[in-house]
Amino acid sequence: MAKELLLKAEIREKTGSNSVKQVLKQGRIPAVIYGHKEEPIAISLEEHNFMEGLHHGLRLIDVQLGKKKQKTLIKELQYDCLGKKVLHADLMRIDVTEVLKITVPLEIKGSAAGMHDGGIIEQHSNKLEIECLATDIPKSIVVSVKNMKIGDSIHARDIQLPEGVKLVTSPEILMVSCHVVVEAKTTEQIEMELPAAPEVIGEVKEPEEGEAEEKK
Amino acid sequence: MAMMPKRVKYRKSQRGKMKGNAHRSNYVAFGEYGLQALETSWVTAKHIEAGRVAATHYLHREGKVYIRIFPCKPVSSKPLETRMGKGKGETEFWTATVKPGQVCFEIGGVDEDVAKQALVRVAHKMPIKCRFVRRRHSL
Repeated sequence: MAKELLLKAEIREKTGSNSVKQVLKQGRIPAVIYGHKEEPIAISLEEHNFMEGLHHGLRLIDVQLGKKKQKTLIKELQYDCLGKKVLHADLMRIDVTEVLKITVPLEIKGSAAGMHDGGIIEQHSNKLEIECLATDIPKSIVVSVKNMKIGDSIHARDIQLPEGVKLVTSPEILMVSCHVVVEAKTTEQIEMELPAAPEVIGEVKEPEEGEAEEKK
Repeated sequence: MAMMPKRVKYRKSQRGKMKGNAHRSNYVAFGEYGLQALETSWVTAKHIEAGRVAATHYLHREGKVYIRIFPCKPVSSKPLETRMGKGKGETEFWTATVKPGQVCFEIGGVDEDVAKQALVRVAHKMPIKCRFVRRRHSL
């Protein structure tokens, strides 16, 4: 069951990059609330509480706007170039009774039997799209790879989902596989494969000496 | 020369400017852990190859190493004791232009401790300051 967080929000009168910079300087995160056929509202949230909730894996937020309380889902986050700081949050209004489509992280648990035989576990996708009630959103979906041998694979259809959760991702998508790693090439091997200089696109090659004489 | 393009449109290129931050490939996309650049610099094919060898040697055929940068920029220079003029010099080496935020190397399929140790070794081979990053799972 997903936990919830109550955050007090302030309406942002001014929008645009300059005012957003000032909001960020004040230690607040600019955000927008939209959905349910209502007007979108530009707001700002307290950074510390929002980040704390995010680190605990919370997806649902109760936003207190004046006297009105709105239940929202964190739909998207914008990060800075280093991926450290949240620059903007998209919050979508939701109803507790409505079914949502949402992507949740896929977590691998255990060490595979194939790893003892020289294989590795490769995770091809780290997200899974599911459909569930807002109150049933799982923090993550755990996949046990304990019994996987070399050559085994887990597709989306093989993943056991919690009760009340439906799979939206194509069931044929490969999620996890166990295989042997091909031995890494040495620098010498790579150099042997590569040409001395790259081919220039559109450049006409000069005929070699033998060919040039034949033409004459 | 370890890495360079197979085909190019032009044999030589201008040096260009290196300003701003990386707004693409600035998150861990393939593996579980990565090495993120914190400075702007040219990373040559030799640096990348040294990093790859350091990581694969440490991992002992465990896990998988992903290289997210490619040296596609030719850098030319004139031979020593040559008078100026007579055209642009020949290509000396190939580089990748790396900006702050760019994830240069990624590792998957191993524990965090092992990945960290491997990426520290890679970071020592790089000409720039780097930091260890994890894949962002939720949002």
